[in-house]
This record gives sequence, C-alpha cells and structure tokens, in this order.
Amino acid sequence: MHETLPEESIVHHRLNCGIDLAVMAMPERPIVAFLIRLLAGYAFERPEHLGVAHVLDEAISKGTARRDGRALNDAFDAIGAAHSSYAGRETVGLVCTCLPEFVAEALDLHAEMIRTPTFPDDACHTAIELTRQSHAALEDDPGELARKLLHRHAYGPPLDRHLYGEKETLDRLDREAVVAHWQQFFSTDRMHVTVAGAVDPARIADQLEQAFEGLTQPADDRQSPAVEPASQAAWPIRFQSGQWHYDKQLEQQQIALCYPCAAVTDEDFPVEQVLVAVLAGGMSGRLFTEVREKQGLVYWVDAWTDHPRAGGMLHMGASTTPQRVDQTYATLLRELDRLGEDLSADEVDRAVAGLLTSIQTRGDMTRARAGRMADDLFYHGRPIAMAEKIERIRSVTIQDIRRYLQRYPRDRLAVVTLGPQRLTI
Amino acid sequence: MQDTSFIQYRLTNGLQIVIERMPHVPSAACGMLVQTGSRDEPDALAGAAHFLEHMCFKGTARRSWEQISIDLDALGAQHNAYTCKDRTFYYGWVRPEDVERQIELLADMMRPTLPPDQFDLEKNVILEEIAMAGDDLASVAYDALYEHLCPNHPMGWPVLGYANTIRDSSRQQMAAFAERRYAPRAMTLIVAGQVDPDRILAAAERWCGQWQDADVASVRTTPAMGSGQAIRTMSRFHQQAVLLAYPATTAGSPDEETAEAVAAILGGTNSRFYWNIVQKGLSRRAGVFYEGYADFGTIVLFALCESKNADTVLAAMQQEVRQLTEEGPQPHELQRVKNLRRTGLAGETEAPYYRLGLLADDLAYRGHPRSAAERLDAVDAVTAERVAGYLERFSLTGPGLLVSVGPREDLANSAR
Repeated sequence: MHETLPEESIVHHRLNCGIDLAVMAMPERPIVAFLIRLLAGYAFERPEHLGVAHVLDEAISKGTARRDGRALNDAFDAIGAAHSSYAGRETVGLVCTCLPEFVAEALDLHAEMIRTPTFPDDACHTAIELTRQSHAALEDDPGELARKLLHRHAYGPPLDRHLYGEKETLDRLDREAVVAHWQQFFSTDRMHVTVAGAVDPARIADQLEQAFEGLTQPADDRQSPAVEPASQAAWPIRFQSGQWHYDKQLEQQQIALCYPCAAVTDEDFPVEQVLVAVLAGGMSGRLFTEVREKQGLVYWVDAWTDHPRAGGMLHMGASTTPQRVDQTYATLLRELDRLGEDLSADEVDRAVAGLLTSIQTRGDMTRARAGRMADDLFYHGRPIAMAEKIERIRSVTIQDIRRYLQRYPRDRLAVVTLGPQRLTI
Repeated sequence: MQDTSFIQYRLTNGLQIVIERMPHVPSAACGMLVQTGSRDEPDALAGAAHFLEHMCFKGTARRSWEQISIDLDALGAQHNAYTCKDRTFYYGWVRPEDVERQIELLADMMRPTLPPDQFDLEKNVILEEIAMAGDDLASVAYDALYEHLCPNHPMGWPVLGYANTIRDSSRQQMAAFAERRYAPRAMTLIVAGQVDPDRILAAAERWCGQWQDADVASVRTTPAMGSGQAIRTMSRFHQQAVLLAYPATTAGSPDEETAEAVAAILGGTNSRFYWNIVQKGLSRRAGVFYEGYADFGTIVLFALCESKNADTVLAAMQQEVRQLTEEGPQPHELQRVKNLRRTGLAGETEAPYYRLGLLADDLAYRGHPRSAAERLDAVDAVTAERVAGYLERFSLTGPGLLVSVGPREDLANSAR
C-alpha cells in the first residue's frame, strides 16, 4: 500500500517490517516531531494485572541491552530530544520532538528502547510503587476520580478500566508481568509511526525498516488475553446507564455524566464535532453561557467526547458547591435538550469557525500535525487530508445536527456524583 | 532559528506596542499585558485584580457580555486571560486576517462598565473558583507557601482573594481600582505572527489612542521573605505536599538563567530529583521551580508524596542540594539544560501564541523583547562557575522556609 496526498505531502506506507508509517515532509519547519504508537494500552491487560501498561511505560526507559537508564536518558539529552511516553486505554505512545539534524539518532534511541528494554528489577519495583502511589493519590484529584468512577460504571469491559489499575491488581504485579505485556504487544504489526517536519520520508522509511526488522510477533502470540477480539481489532462500548453517588469530603460536588455518541469513523463525526463546539466550544458555548455566565453556578463546566477505536461517548462535567448541585445538573440536561429545540445558524457558524481556526493555529504546529496523523492511522487506517476534514466540518448544517440528536438521544445516561451531597432530582 | 524582527512603539497616551513579525507562520496572536496583579491590591480588596479580569468579559460601553463572548468566538480565536501576582494578560490566537478585529475587541474589553447585575453574579463564579482551588492540594500548598513567604504583604495572599473579600467588594471599589490600574502607561499591546506592522499600529492608534494618559497610582513595595516552618494539617488530603523555599535572584537579572539552570539540574527532566527521589519510589512528583519578579525571587524545592515518606523526601531533597553546592554541576547536566532549551525555543518559533507569554516576561522584567536566539545566548552563557557563584550568593542549604500541607502534624527539618 502506498499513497501520496498532494495537499500536504503525506507519504503513507505499510513497511515490510510491519510498521504503519505516515510522514509529512515540511522542509521549512525548525523541528521534527514523531509519535510511535503501539496497540498495547490498558484495555489489553490481563484482568489480574491491571495497571501493567502504565508500569511498563514507567519502566521501559530504565535500561536497554546497550545502556542503563541514566545513560539512555543522557543520550536523549545529548541531542536535545524532548521525549516522553504515555500508556493510554488502547495504545502506548512514545512522543519525541527534536531538531531535524538529530531525527535519525532519536529514532534509533526509540528503537533501542522498544526492542531491547531490560526492565531491571529495581526499576520495575519502583514503577509499581509509583503506580500504587498514583492510584492512591486519585483521592486528592476529585475530577479525575469522578471520571474514573463514571468509566467503571458506564463503559463495560475492558474499556471500563483505569490507567492505574486497582490496588489488588497492583499488589500482584512483578517484573514478569511487565515483560509478558511487552513481549505480547510490542511488535511492528501493532505499531503506527507518524513523523512531521523537515525530514526525507524515504530515509525515515529505510531507517525504520532496518531498526525494527524482525520484531513482528508470531501469529500464535497475538491473541489478547483480556477479551476478544485480539490484536488490531477494537472493543465496543457496552454502555450501562444509571446514577451513582460517592460520598466524599470536598468543597465542591463533582458531576460527571455520559451517553453513547458517534464513532470517529462514523459519517456523522463532523456533525458531532460541531455539536460539541456549540455546547462547549468557547465563551459563547451553551454550557458556559447558561451554567456559568447566566446563573453563576460554576467556575468549571465542559462537554467533550471520548473515542475508543470502535465507539464514542459524549461527556459533560461540572463542579459546584453542594447547595447548587441539583440546579447545575438540571441545567446541564436542559441544555442538552434545548439543542434540539432552538439551535441557530449563527451558533453553528461560530462553532465551525472555531474548529477551522483551531486547525490553522494550534493544529498547524509540527507536533500537532504528527499527532493528527497518528489519530488518523489509529481510527481510519490511513491519513486523511486536512482539506477533506475541513470540508466535512464546513458542510455541517443545522439539519444535520437535529438529525444527529435524534440518532443519538440522551434517553439513557450514566451519571456519577462525588462529594458531600446526593442529587435529589 | 527562524528569522523574526521586533517593532516597538508608544502611543502618546503611554500605551506600549510590541510586534514580533513571524512571516513563516500562518497565524497570529495578540495580547494585552496589564501591569497589575494581586500585589497591587489593598488588603480589603484581595482578589480584585483577578475579579477585574473576569469583569472585562462582562460588558463594555459597546458590548454586552453576550456580545463579547459571541465576538470572541466569531473570530474563532483560542483566547483566554490570566491574573498572577504582578500582571494580568488577555490573549488570543487567530488567523492573520483577524488580528485587527481582535485588537478592537481587546481594546474594548479593557474599558469595562462593570454592569451591576453581572458584578454580583460573577462573585458566585469566583467563589466557586476559590472552592475548586480548595479541593486541589497543589493549589492549597502554593497559596500556603506564599502566605508564609511574603507575610504581611499583598504577594502573600492568593491571586483569587478570599471568600470574604470577594463577597464584600463593591462595584464602586472595583471601578476605582480599574481606573487606577488600567492606565495606558501600565499596558502593552503585544502582537506576534504573520502581521503587517503598519496595520497593527494603525489599529492600536484607532482603538486605544483615545484612552486618557494617567499615572499608575500605587508604588510596589518589596516583600521581606519569611522563613521558618509552617505545617497545615488537612486530614482530608491523602498525600503530603512538602515545599522548601529559598531566596533567589530577581527576574530579568543577569543571574536569571543560572537560577533556571539550577532548578533544571536539581528538579527538571532527567534530573537529580528524578533519579534520586522519584526513581527511588519516595515521591511520584518531585521537582524544583524558580519564580522571579522584578524585585523578588525564590527557588522552591517541592514534592507530593505519601505522608509517611515526607520526612525522608525532605531529607533527600536537602541532600541533593548539598551535593550540588559542594561538588558543582556535571558538564553533561549543564549541556542537557542547554540542549533541551534549544529544542524548546525552536518549537516556540512556530507558535505565536507561545511567543506571547515569553514576550510578556521580557517586557515585564527587562523592558524589551528578546528573540529566541538572544534567549539561547543567555542560556549558553551559564557555566559551572556561574552556578557555583550563584549558589554561594543564594544558598539553598540553610533552613529556608518549610511549608507542608496534608495529613501530617509535624515534619523533621534536619536543617533547622
């Protein structure tokens, strides 16, 4: 497979080594950004080892067959490469920004880290301990704790998990569990690489072919132990509605709610983007206007979407002092309902303008370009030309949004409140 | 580094305009810097600067609050504002063709009419913001730090103010505060990106030129830095926040980059704290930050940890500082700081939005903007000898000011 998108000079390959590679050559840029994503996130964990993807993410930079952790990180520093990594729900990602003259070295260092990590015992022990501390520290982060509880109730397995696992599963983790996760999921047939900036796409492809040759897993090892389907397939959301309250001593009450919406690959995804922008895309967004500016109920209120590979969930959240929680909750629901009643063309125009300007400003940064291609590979299996995305957003109408609201009604909600007071409505 | 160039101009009423031309980017950013922060507030009006920032979005002679929101969003701008101890900054990131409209809107917002109904309603929003900060351990710890770092001084109170000062403040007090503090002489219009300077200057003259010149009323006083130990026991938090603060050089001084380097070597990426505290499992988050103002500076060692580890973490932070002071930095540590800064600065040259923040720092503390190359020169000038000299003048090995928030009732500060 090979295609070139002329508008943005994107070269997209499935390399012989198995990597799905997209490169956007931008010769005028002062930096290069690349992302390496592996389908190895916490949805793939064994149920008895929840939290292992995060532990792996912490431990993978602590030594390779060639050098110890300090030497590895010093090697990145020697070329000024700003590197980081994360464990997400479906993917583990390694992110790097560097000057163009150092991109080959930076890619080699990543290949070394991905192919030959040694996972020293003490590093694994520390990573498990730090993950345990992060899990416990969720008690001091009420917003994140509320979202964790909402996911647990609403998403269904295995998408209902949290990055930090659970206390009892963390207690079971050891180096062997980390190595097993790496062996099973760190292979080129589960790897997306995207590169943006002043690079030569052919040289990037050649380098990756050599650096990752032979890392494809045998077919027998590819099955996910968590749930089927394995490998590169995706899990559907198994939505569970309901209302749950967790009592906690807090200054503010957290409200978190969600319900299913379109997947990124759905033809209505651009409609959803505009709809969310109408709700929460700026200062004139309905939530900010109605909940904060007109009623003074909150400082923070927001709406956003969350997209596993094979589904979508529309979220709303707010935090408010306990005496205002009922009114805040009722206003959130009312604003959702009102979208289908009195949406105006001006609102849609502003939402579209905001989305398009965002693409031209923040979305133009080299790192954002690499990230966008990575999302395209993850969801669509190919890079999507920006012109195509812009056109799809630009063409959204009020009628599209009304149709969308009928297709995805908020008739079933999952709601979590966290704080001193239950909802009484 | 990409080529950029600066244009500086001052209107007859005193408003300063600074433009950085970045012809290589497809966007532009524009901000209004106001030299007013919480340190400029009378104590009865603690939180007024931040409250006024909110009120600038709530109505002008030409626009209602709804129209301000609509017009901001119609620009498609990524826009925001913040208030800190010594400044307020309103800013946005737009397409190049929208910069003049953004200047008009920002200029209008700088002359708020403080509609009475909105004034009262906005108090609720700020009270919610204060409550939200009260649930955040890092925010509580930061405010506790400054309360003891700058005792009996406006720098010592939270930027958000207190619930009682917000509730008790009147619209008349706020109007007087705005008139005193938002004089054009205390403001700078900053623009960066793909722009035509002549059109920017014309827009500034048109929309800001009629503002009346006036003196900025208050004279800032320098806080006397506190020391000792302050433990705030809050059992509802799971973790313990531990902060140890020392005097540091001021912002804009020749030593500023050295102070930043000391903070990065001790507590930045791949640092001593990372390997000897975080990677020992003692704390999931430990680091060092430098905060500089025109007349005041501090370096703060900090950690969030399990409460049972707090004594060990405190001792480990002090041990790392002692070692750096006695042995000096390793060559590769200094080089790391420089290399990472070089990459970071290269990235910032493609984002006018991020350039605004850096330019605001330069203008606030140096009086003139610096290019990315000038910034890099300053970083490259940091040497091991400079670090050693800095640590002699601004020692980090004394008792300092220890502040801790969390379940603990006491901590063992070995340097007492």
